[in-house]
Amino acid sequence: MLNLLKLVIALIFAMAINNAMAQQSKPSLPGSTKGILRDTAHNYVLKSATVSIYKMADSSLISYQISNNYGEFSFKNLPVGVSLRLDASHVGYQTLRKKFTVPSDKNFIDLGTLIINPKDNTLEEVTVTIPPITMNGDTLEFNAAAFKLDSNAVVEDLLRKIPNVTLWGDGQITVNGREVKSVLVNGKPFFGGDAKVATQNIAKNALDKIQVYNTVKDKNNPLDSTLTVNLKLKKGKELGFFGKIGGGYGTDDRYEADLSFNVFSPKMQLAIVGASNNINKSLNNVNTLINNSTFKGVGTNVEYQPDFRASGINQPNAGGVKFTYNFVEKPTWENRNTVTSSYFIQNTNNDYVSNSETTTSINTTDKIYEQNSNTSSNVNNNQNFDARYDLTKKNKALTFSHNFSRNKGESTNETFRNALNTQNVLTSTNNTFNQNSFDNTRFSFQVDFRLSQNYMKPKQLIKSLNLSYMITVNDNENNRSNLTDFISVTNPASNRRFDRRYETAYNSVYQQMNIELPNLKSLFFGNSNLGGIDFELSNSLNLNNRKDDNQVQDLNTATNNYINNAYLSNYVETHYIEETPGLTISKSFYKNLSNRYNKNLSLNFSPKQKFIRQENRSQRSFQNITRNYQRFMPDASIGYTDNQFGEYYKSYSLSFNTKVRIPSLDQLAPLTDSTNLYSLQRGNLNLKEAVDRELSLSLNHYDQTNKNTLNYNLSLTAGFTKNQIVDSTFIDDQNRRTNFLTNANGNRYLNFYGDARKAFKFKTSELQINLNSQISNTKTPGYTNSLFAFSKNFNTNTSLTVNYTYKSYLALAIGQTYGTYRSEQEAFNTLYKGINKASTLSSSYNVTKKFTLNTNISFNQSSSSNTDDINFTIWNANAVYRFLKGNNAEFKLSALDILHQNTNIINYGSGNSFTVGSRNVLQQYFMTTFSYYPRQFGKKAPVKK
Amino acid sequence: MLKKTLSSIIVCLTFVLNIQAQTSKADSSEMVTLRIDPDAARGATVSQIFDEVKFIPLETTKESLFGSISQLRTTKDSYVIYDYDTKSVLIFNKDGKFRAKVNSSKVVADANEKDKQVFYGFNLVKNKDESLIRISSGKNYFFFDLDGKLIKKEAIGKRTAEDRYIKFADSITTIAPFYVYKNGKDSTNYEIAILNDKKEIGLYFPFESDRFEKDQYIGSGNPLTEYGTDNELFYVRYYEYNLYKIKPKSVSLAYRIIFPASISLPKNFMDMTEYKKKRIEYFEKNPGQIYGISNPYLIGDNIYFKINIWGWSQDKKNALVYNLKNGDLTSLKNLEPDARSQFLPVTDGGSFYDFTNNGFHSYEEGYLYTSYSSLALFTFKDLNAGKDRKYDSVLTKFFETQNKKSNPIIIQLKPKKN
Repeated sequence: MLNLLKLVIALIFAMAINNAMAQQSKPSLPGSTKGILRDTAHNYVLKSATVSIYKMADSSLISYQISNNYGEFSFKNLPVGVSLRLDASHVGYQTLRKKFTVPSDKNFIDLGTLIINPKDNTLEEVTVTIPPITMNGDTLEFNAAAFKLDSNAVVEDLLRKIPNVTLWGDGQITVNGREVKSVLVNGKPFFGGDAKVATQNIAKNALDKIQVYNTVKDKNNPLDSTLTVNLKLKKGKELGFFGKIGGGYGTDDRYEADLSFNVFSPKMQLAIVGASNNINKSLNNVNTLINNSTFKGVGTNVEYQPDFRASGINQPNAGGVKFTYNFVEKPTWENRNTVTSSYFIQNTNNDYVSNSETTTSINTTDKIYEQNSNTSSNVNNNQNFDARYDLTKKNKALTFSHNFSRNKGESTNETFRNALNTQNVLTSTNNTFNQNSFDNTRFSFQVDFRLSQNYMKPKQLIKSLNLSYMITVNDNENNRSNLTDFISVTNPASNRRFDRRYETAYNSVYQQMNIELPNLKSLFFGNSNLGGIDFELSNSLNLNNRKDDNQVQDLNTATNNYINNAYLSNYVETHYIEETPGLTISKSFYKNLSNRYNKNLSLNFSPKQKFIRQENRSQRSFQNITRNYQRFMPDASIGYTDNQFGEYYKSYSLSFNTKVRIPSLDQLAPLTDSTNLYSLQRGNLNLKEAVDRELSLSLNHYDQTNKNTLNYNLSLTAGFTKNQIVDSTFIDDQNRRTNFLTNANGNRYLNFYGDARKAFKFKTSELQINLNSQISNTKTPGYTNSLFAFSKNFNTNTSLTVNYTYKSYLALAIGQTYGTYRSEQEAFNTLYKGINKASTLSSSYNVTKKFTLNTNISFNQSSSSNTDDINFTIWNANAVYRFLKGNNAEFKLSALDILHQNTNIINYGSGNSFTVGSRNVLQQYFMTTFSYYPRQFGKKAPVKK
Repeated sequence: MLKKTLSSIIVCLTFVLNIQAQTSKADSSEMVTLRIDPDAARGATVSQIFDEVKFIPLETTKESLFGSISQLRTTKDSYVIYDYDTKSVLIFNKDGKFRAKVNSSKVVADANEKDKQVFYGFNLVKNKDESLIRISSGKNYFFFDLDGKLIKKEAIGKRTAEDRYIKFADSITTIAPFYVYKNGKDSTNYEIAILNDKKEIGLYFPFESDRFEKDQYIGSGNPLTEYGTDNELFYVRYYEYNLYKIKPKSVSLAYRIIFPASISLPKNFMDMTEYKKKRIEYFEKNPGQIYGISNPYLIGDNIYFKINIWGWSQDKKNALVYNLKNGDLTSLKNLEPDARSQFLPVTDGGSFYDFTNNGFHSYEEGYLYTSYSSLALFTFKDLNAGKDRKYDSVLTKFFETQNKKSNPIIIQLKPKKN
């Protein structure tokens, strides 16, 4: 399978390189021209003017450029012997128009000096043509009208036409190799800020221009500028609507239905969404629904697919509204006043079926096999209401937000578990049946205030201040009944049967108060320089009050009624206080050489002292535990940035963090529920707090050259834990497990993450390569039947994606993922390992402007050291036909999992065990879908270009 | 009560009269009014404006590597520059060869100063053919010769405005900016005082000592410029478009520049109380209005100057030459390179930032000096590719041996006088 992939990649490379070579060695169009623009009225050459060349016959744009410092322009790859037109334009000048033909005998024409005249202010000049690209101060502008596209094109189609812009397979946009951090519409985030919503919905014809500029986000660090793309709509097009209404029905009663309706005006945005399906398309919030209902235009897309990898069969129904109002029509980073609110309701039915086998080593020779068969079905109802108010004025920012959510539902779960010994002989079975209903509500409110330094008032004592307060109230109620049957084959005396009911409720109030006082040097030390050292004081106070009320009843088989379980029924109050005062000492070094480089080294050291008090009041006296903890927790970090002008920008950071995890009441002194014999939980009053120390290193590289950029990010994290709270498990031959908890040293982990992306842009095609890799190596201590053992785990996951697009006809994506796991217990002399591989080939081909074929095939292979390989292939295909004026209607025929092989594999290792198995998944179906995309920009129907 | 009030009125009156008696008025009898519309400024070829153009690449070695030139003065055989990036003074021979460097390691820090004591510029003390570099750092003046050798160290004593005093060539006249005139217990601040052997012979433009706390004053560079005529200086005041000429005996208003109303500050700008302490806010709202002029040089019949606006753009024609004889207005950013400049731009205005930020560094011995980066020079050269341009031996060698990260280049220009 891998070979096939290699072949395809090689083929595509060959295609791309051929293409590139062809351009270099034998340009298809041999003509060239040059000239100079001159303003004779002022007697100078005209710099930064836009020079565009059009074909006379159909006025189609062939090429364009900006005149250089000497007023010159020079074009290559022009057609020969064809009538051409040159337009030169500049703010404040009349557009210069010149007809010419490149003679076929010389393939070159020198246009010499062209005279361009200043605009006569008294005459209202009719703009004949708009130049494709202009420099307006520091803003680069692409004028939509200059690019000829299909009348149904959207912004994304336009972006693909611009030579300096790359649209990545994962949705990211880069301009001249630099990442675009935000896409705005008329200066404001558009329906939640996902670039796709703007670029795949807004009609190209509604767009005036695309503006690209740098935004300095943080006044404290002007070097930290980000690239922003603003989509400026045409006058009169600042209000409109767009959306989708669609439904589909298929074999096996598969269906989907979507509704998304979005209205916007200069100050207001309102979205109404709704959806329902039983094909694993997840509907988690308003934004997901908006993002997945975009018009997309006629460009080639590798179609969004139902999630064939999701386990189980999910049937979600959801609906919601989202409202945004900007009191300031043109917000800037120092003047913003916005209110946002959304309501979302979701109802989900899930059905899961899984079968798996877990192999656990209990000593060097003996193993236990647990066969697990699980069926569950859940009904879940979620409601979420939130609102947020932002007010930013100059150097002050205030935010209020609240969130209310309610989650109600029911679930049933049936599990059959068999335990087998090393000789594969059945030793015990443990079957459970659970029924559960719950009703949880959560309310939170947060207020933040930020005051940042005002450079106009250098004498202020308190230069900046950050304050935040948050309160969260949780109310949870849960009713559960449990039937458990434990049957021992070897020792029938230990057979147990339970029929138990639980009524549990808890209420918690969590409050968090943070205060930060940065830039304190001048407050304490006045104007003295202190060698560039600055201080910040901070304090964080967390309070949590929690009340747990658990009522447990057991069936008395003799009287056939439920009676109170005096041991498990309990009422506990927990008060938790965490206070962390801290100090940060920082120093920065700058090294700057004009027009050459810019380097910055910053050192931070933050000593903190954490005080924790945990107080438990319970009806069980052994649970009345009050504990105090305190610990010195120093954090430190080093950051280094190196900006080499016109070459690259690199940033490195190294940081050290300490975290403390205190044992909970359930870990110290739990009430042991004996129904789960395969995992009995016991406490340990002698548990100490675990302390994590973590060192992380990261490196980011941004290419700043203009062509074929390579960007990469690497990070490495190493950590070790003192007094890690670990299981000390006793397993008997019938797989009955008792977990005691204890502290153990020696827990370590090392994680690596890296990604790299490179793009090649050719005249008519584009190739993108994306590689990312994750490696984790952990060493976890634990006890099994009193035997101390480290289990070493080594997991990797690497994926390579290659995207190729040819004009707007063909898109190909090839992906390869390769994952491995390895789990080793030296003490038991065991080693488990496995490999998961998947190769994907997706393609999309626009047969005509209205008809598109998409296909997507993935080869999956899962192998494990102890079982046979599992191979399966998922093949999906669909045909899309767009019709009506404006391509507003869509008819789609899809065939999914054509080979009927989809499988969801369980294959993982952890600690001294590994698990293999499978879950139920969505499988083959065929569906026909009809969708309609109502859209209008501006008051009248979109005018045909 | 009455007595007390009366006496205080008398005290006040005498005080006011006192000031009146001392303050001199700038003579405007020979004032020339210039009407200038920057938008109408025209271009010219380099040879129409300059008689000589010389490129002097500054040698790049590990020791001499620096960022950009923020101050430049010449001596008989060398260039002395200050670089803000490395906080050092560098001395180069007239051919660009590196001679010496003075940085904080060569000055002895004050006793209570723990860090290295940096400095932010230098003064050239000329004495006949000899020149000394005076660096003011901490509590001392350090004098270096042109080989970077410390010659002497002098305690500054009480830091006074005397640092900024300019001695005229007649050796008796001293121009004292921000002068504090003392009369018994009273004192008055003057923007300009003319001193003759320490005696005040003219006190101009009084101001309240706390004016910088009461309002925002945005300057456009050094208000005093030497323009190569002995015993003469130009002086520019905050938010004014006037060029005052300072001579040994008096200050006179020499040129009053009038710009089109759309790009001028309102006449009552300083009286607009709503913008008191919020001048910057005003400029942010009116980014096209000229808040000041700077770098004025009177060279023959030509006045060179720079206009400063808040809204910054490379396209703006803000470095201008006005011919007093024929009224021609030329934009320096729009000069067309020709054979005289080896077809290379003489400033980086319009493409890079050195000229926009600094204007000309100085006008000495009949030459104007500007500079730009190697990055700029290589960019300009790349634009000439394929045009069969011939460069002189200095530049040919520079392009062969150096790169975009080499030291900046000084451009020496001899302006025409008529």
